[in-house]
Amino acid sequence: MTGLWRILLLLLVLWGGMPPANGSAQVDITVTRRAVQRIPVVVVGLQPLQLVSGGADLAARAESILKGDLEFSTIFEVLPPVFLPFDSKEIRLGEEKKVLPSLNQLKVQALVAAYLTKQGKDLVLEGRVYNVPRGAFVGGTRYFGDVKALRTMVHRLADEVVFRLTGERGVASTRIAYASVEKGATELYLMDYDGHNSVLVTGNRSINLSPRFSPDGKLLAYTSYRDGNPDLYLLNLETGRRKKVSALPGLNISPAWSPDGRWLALSLSKDGGTNVYMMGLNGKKLRRLTNGLGISVAASFSPNGRQIVFTSDRGGSPQIYVIDVEGTNLRRLSFQGDYNASPHWSPRGDKIAFISDRGGGSFQIYLMNLDGSGVQQMTTVGSNEDPAWSPDGRHLVFSSNRSGTKDVYVMHADGSGLKRLTRSALNNFAPNWSP
Amino acid sequence: MAAKGRELKGKGVGSSMTRWRGPLWGSVFFLAGALLLAGCPKKPEVQTGGPGAMAGDKMTKGAPIREAPLRPGEKPSALKDVFFDFDKSVLRTDAKQTLENDLQWLTANSQVRIVLEGHCDERGTNEYNLALGERRAKTVRDYLVAGGVDSKRISTISYGEERPFVLGHDESAWQWNRRGHFVVVK
Repeated sequence: MTGLWRILLLLLVLWGGMPPANGSAQVDITVTRRAVQRIPVVVVGLQPLQLVSGGADLAARAESILKGDLEFSTIFEVLPPVFLPFDSKEIRLGEEKKVLPSLNQLKVQALVAAYLTKQGKDLVLEGRVYNVPRGAFVGGTRYFGDVKALRTMVHRLADEVVFRLTGERGVASTRIAYASVEKGATELYLMDYDGHNSVLVTGNRSINLSPRFSPDGKLLAYTSYRDGNPDLYLLNLETGRRKKVSALPGLNISPAWSPDGRWLALSLSKDGGTNVYMMGLNGKKLRRLTNGLGISVAASFSPNGRQIVFTSDRGGSPQIYVIDVEGTNLRRLSFQGDYNASPHWSPRGDKIAFISDRGGGSFQIYLMNLDGSGVQQMTTVGSNEDPAWSPDGRHLVFSSNRSGTKDVYVMHADGSGLKRLTRSALNNFAPNWSP
Repeated sequence: MAAKGRELKGKGVGSSMTRWRGPLWGSVFFLAGALLLAGCPKKPEVQTGGPGAMAGDKMTKGAPIREAPLRPGEKPSALKDVFFDFDKSVLRTDAKQTLENDLQWLTANSQVRIVLEGHCDERGTNEYNLALGERRAKTVRDYLVAGGVDSKRISTISYGEERPFVLGHDESAWQWNRRGHFVVVK
C-alpha cells in the first residue's frame, strides 16, 4: 500500500459511516464528531513471548487485553495494524521515536509501545506512551509480576495510558462486586471489570445481597442472612475482617456510601414501614431520613453528598424520589410507569440511572436528568435491573435475563458496547463497580 | 423482636444437612397451595406433612418444584400459606379464609411458636422485594394477633425474592412465590 492509500483508508475508518451524499448535512456532522472524538492510538511492540516452547504467546494475550481496555475506555480508537506503514511487532524498545513522523501523517494522536519480557520467574511489562503530534515521550512504567498477574499488569498499563493522555483515572484496574446464586445460597463475588478473575468473598452459604464498595474501595458493605436475620456488614477487603454494623430487628438492607466514606444510608424496618436512615460506620449516630409506613429503599448519594435518590411506594407504587440528607425537600422524580426503581446517581452528578416498566411488562434501564426530564432508554432486550455506574461515569453495569438466566453485563453510557461478564446456570445480579 | 436474629442463629439456613428434604416439602406446600387456590373440595386430605404427602410428591413429579430449606427443629403443621397479588400486601379473600383455619389451629395448639416468612416473586428489585416481603409477613402477623394469637408467639422475617417456592418465569410460578409462609419452630 502506498502512503496516500493508507491515509485515505484511515480517513474512511475515522469518519466511518459518513455518506458522500450532501443531503442530511446535520446528521453527517454528528456522526463524524462522534467517531473523531475518540483519540486515534497505535499499539506497537509486544514481540512474541512463550515461557515454554509451544506454549501460549503471552505477548499476544497482553496485546489483546491492552487493546480491549483502550477500546472499552471509549476514549481511544486503536488503529488496526493493517493501516500502519510498518510492522508493529518490529518496533524494538527505544526505537519508538523513528515511527512518530509516519504516525503523525496518519493523524494518530498517541503511540503506546509495550514490551513483555521474562526476568527470572517474573514477567516484566514495560509501557511507553508518546504524544505523536509533538513527537514527545509522555511517560512510562515497568510492571513486574508472575504469569498469573499478567492481566492485572496490562490493566494497570491501560489505566496509565488513559491518565497520561487525558488526566482521567481509567477503569481497567477496577473491579465489580456481584451476587451469585448457588445451590441453596446466594454468595458475593468480586471480579475484574472485564469479567475475569472472579473470587468468592462471602462463602457463608446463606443469602448475601447488595454489595457496595466504599469510596476508597477498601470496604464492602452488604446485607447477609448468615446469622438468620438480614443484617448489615462491613468487610475490609484488605484484611478480610468482617464487622456486623447493623442488626436491628427486621431489615438492615440496601446500603449506600456517602461520598466522604463516613456515612452509610441504609433501609431499616424496625419502626414499622421500611425507611431510609443515615448511620455512622460504627452503627451509631442513627438518624431517620424518610417517614411513613411505606417502603423506602435503594438510596444513592449525589456526588456532593447533599442529596439522596431512592425508591419509595409512598404514592401507591414504587417510584423514584430525591431528598436532602437533612431529610428535607422531598420530591418525586418519576411519574411514568407503575414501577420505577433502583436509582443510581452518576459520579459526574448529571444523570440518574434507574429501571422502569414504562415500556410495558419487562424492566428496562433508563437515564434521566436530576429533575426527572430528558429520559433516555438504554436497554430493550429482556428484563434488566440493578444499573450501577463505573467510577468515571463512562459505563454502566447491570443485570439482565436476556440470555435466560440473570447475568451481569456492561455497556457504555450511550447504550453501545454491550458486553456480558458472567456466565452460569444460575443467576448473577446486584453488580456494584469499585472506585 | 430483638431476639429474632438470635433465634435462627447458626441453624444453617440452606445448609446441605437440611437441603435434601426440600423437594418433598416443596411438593407438599405446592400441592397444598394448588388445591387451596383451586378451591378443591379435597383440601382436608392434603395437609402439610400429613398422609397426603407422598401422593403429593408423586402427583407433582416433573412439575417445577423449588426446594424449600427446612430449619432444624421445624415441625410439620396444619398451617397453610397465604398468597398475595403482585406488589400487594393486602390479604385477599382466599387468604383470609386460609388464615381463619390457621387461627383455629394456632388457638388449639397454643404452645406452638411460629416464624412468618414473607416472600415475593422475581419481578421488581431485590431490595424493594425484601421490604415488600417484610410487609406481607407483618400483615399476616397482624391478622393473627388481631384474631387473638399472642404476638410473642410470632416472629417475622422477609426473604424477598431470594427463596422462590416454585422456579419459573411466568405467573404459574410467580403466584406461588408471593406468599406468607408458616414455619413452626417450637
